[in-house]
Amino acid sequence: MARISINKVWKYYGTSPAVRELNLECDDGSFVSILGPSGCGKSSTMRMIAGLEHISAGDILFDGQRINDLPPKDRDVAMVFENYALYPHKSVFDNIANPLRLRGFAADKIKERVTSATKLLEIDHLLNRRPSELSGGQKQRVAIGRAIVREPKLFLFDEPIAHLDAKLRAHMRGEIKHLQRSLGTTMIYVTHDQLEALSMADMIAVMHDGELQQWGTPSEIFNRPVNAWVAGFVGEPAMNFLSAELRSEGGNTVLTHPNFNIPLLPQQVALVNGSAKREVRMGVRPDALSISTTRPDGPVIEGRIYVTELLGGDMLVDVQLADARIRVKTSTDFTGVADDACYMTVNRDKWHLFDIEDGHAYF
Amino acid sequence: MASRDVVQYKSPLVVAFKIFSVIFLTVYLIWTLLPIFVMFVSSFKDLLEAFNIPEVGDWAGVTVFFDFTPTLKHYHSLFYDNNFGEYMANSLIAAGGSAVIAVTFGSMAAYSLSRVEFRGKGDLFFWIISTRMAPVVAVMVPLYAIFRSFDLIGTLPGLILAYTTFNLPFAIWILKGFFDNVPYSIEEAQMVDGATRFQAFMSILPLVAPGIAAFIVLCILFAWNDFLFAAIIGSGGAKTLPVATRELVQPQNIQWGAIMAAGVVTTLPMMLLGLVIRKYLVTGMTMGAVKE
Repeated sequence: MARISINKVWKYYGTSPAVRELNLECDDGSFVSILGPSGCGKSSTMRMIAGLEHISAGDILFDGQRINDLPPKDRDVAMVFENYALYPHKSVFDNIANPLRLRGFAADKIKERVTSATKLLEIDHLLNRRPSELSGGQKQRVAIGRAIVREPKLFLFDEPIAHLDAKLRAHMRGEIKHLQRSLGTTMIYVTHDQLEALSMADMIAVMHDGELQQWGTPSEIFNRPVNAWVAGFVGEPAMNFLSAELRSEGGNTVLTHPNFNIPLLPQQVALVNGSAKREVRMGVRPDALSISTTRPDGPVIEGRIYVTELLGGDMLVDVQLADARIRVKTSTDFTGVADDACYMTVNRDKWHLFDIEDGHAYF
Repeated sequence: MASRDVVQYKSPLVVAFKIFSVIFLTVYLIWTLLPIFVMFVSSFKDLLEAFNIPEVGDWAGVTVFFDFTPTLKHYHSLFYDNNFGEYMANSLIAAGGSAVIAVTFGSMAAYSLSRVEFRGKGDLFFWIISTRMAPVVAVMVPLYAIFRSFDLIGTLPGLILAYTTFNLPFAIWILKGFFDNVPYSIEEAQMVDGATRFQAFMSILPLVAPGIAAFIVLCILFAWNDFLFAAIIGSGGAKTLPVATRELVQPQNIQWGAIMAAGVVTTLPMMLLGLVIRKYLVTGMTMGAVKE
């Protein structure tokens, strides 16, 4: 177990920076997820922690001790790779025993540890198989087994379940989270899947273009994104963005758009720095909108149904506005069909306004 | 899983091609196997029987090929009168020694060229392979001069070194391709698990086994069948089978029986090597290692 501090870390490949001045503090025993699209620097960060890449500038500390210059074998971390990286010519037992053998454990100790790890992962009946005889999910468990058997200070999981099918992925999310909780080992989990990060992590670091965008709990990331990029990346279906204008109307600050005029809540007015007329980006998640084919009271967004998609328990409605299309999540009771006029009300506690220039969030 | 066979439909062209290919392969087989068959059979024949050949066009006369009393006297003369045991040992040591040295250094060099980025890597790689571009005869004279000043002419170490000079670039070239196909993550997993770089390198050697096996075969074949180096650099103290066989052709008589026996003795070990190493040549060891 360890507390991981990443202080002003940079990573350059040639002259192009892959990670720009990253600062993170991972508490002892916490589950931290680094979330971002491919090429955002998340894997570089993990590889610098593992010692597989040099750190171009800055420091990484384990429990206050600088580890920049330690080779991977001396860092006491265990890593699970995206492609599992099992040794194809070795059996499951030998694969899992490998890190213990490299560290010179006695044979009976190795057997004991491997047995308990494989029991925990429910792969104890596969010990004599080779990786080529295993399914994707089983390989993935062997890779995890190889990581946990050594009882390291830190787990590094690099998109470990990205290649599994959807159902198994959902199952393994729960398994991995439970495993981390029961072992209590600090975990850094890299993923591009926002659902994995939100559902598993204690803290999430959202990265984009090598820069840390936001560091927070899953609910902070989801409910209070610091900028339009984070807001758009996190959440499925994705947040709707509309260009709108802030205007003063009869003492109220109103958000206007060809399809609607909706006043801001009083506490939100204070956050947008004055009521001067200007362009902003409005963001609202599909589930913060409610849709109806009859006009309700109060401010509404008018539109025309473009298409409806039934998703089992929910329904997604794509609505055509004057200049854009937005998606609304509603219940399966919704009866509107394509080309019907429709009316949407916004849950104003859950909408967001972003600066049109740099995308930072007003609220 | 879907069928792995390529679907083929019978059209007149396909049928014609099939008939043609059967005929072609039959002729090709006779063309290649007949000399080996004659060599093998003649080595067990008395000289008179060996030259008992039917008239051209006398197809019934083919039976005279098989009409003989087997004798081992040519093999006896080879090993007792002509010292072929020693020459065979020389051939084995020269071929095996150069293969081992070339594989050892070749795999390390190939791994470095595959994994490490450094300035001038492309040029270095080209330079290594360019040493194989000149024909052997072109470098024989300077090589001989160098070897003579180191007193390596006519010695087994000299011969091994000469073969290694030519096999090492080849080893690097073949093995680099195999290392390139091994995913980095397997060594990285090893290093995170507690291995040094060298241990990580050793751990992926089984994954390039098909490459190493292929190279060993080619390397041993090159050295085993070589005549030029053996005749010039190995002459005298390190005589190998091809050179010794050549010496059975003397101005006053050509010992056909012994030459045929020497041919068999030279060919058989290579055939055995092919059989033994065949299973390692099958690629696909890395299958299932990683998810592509």
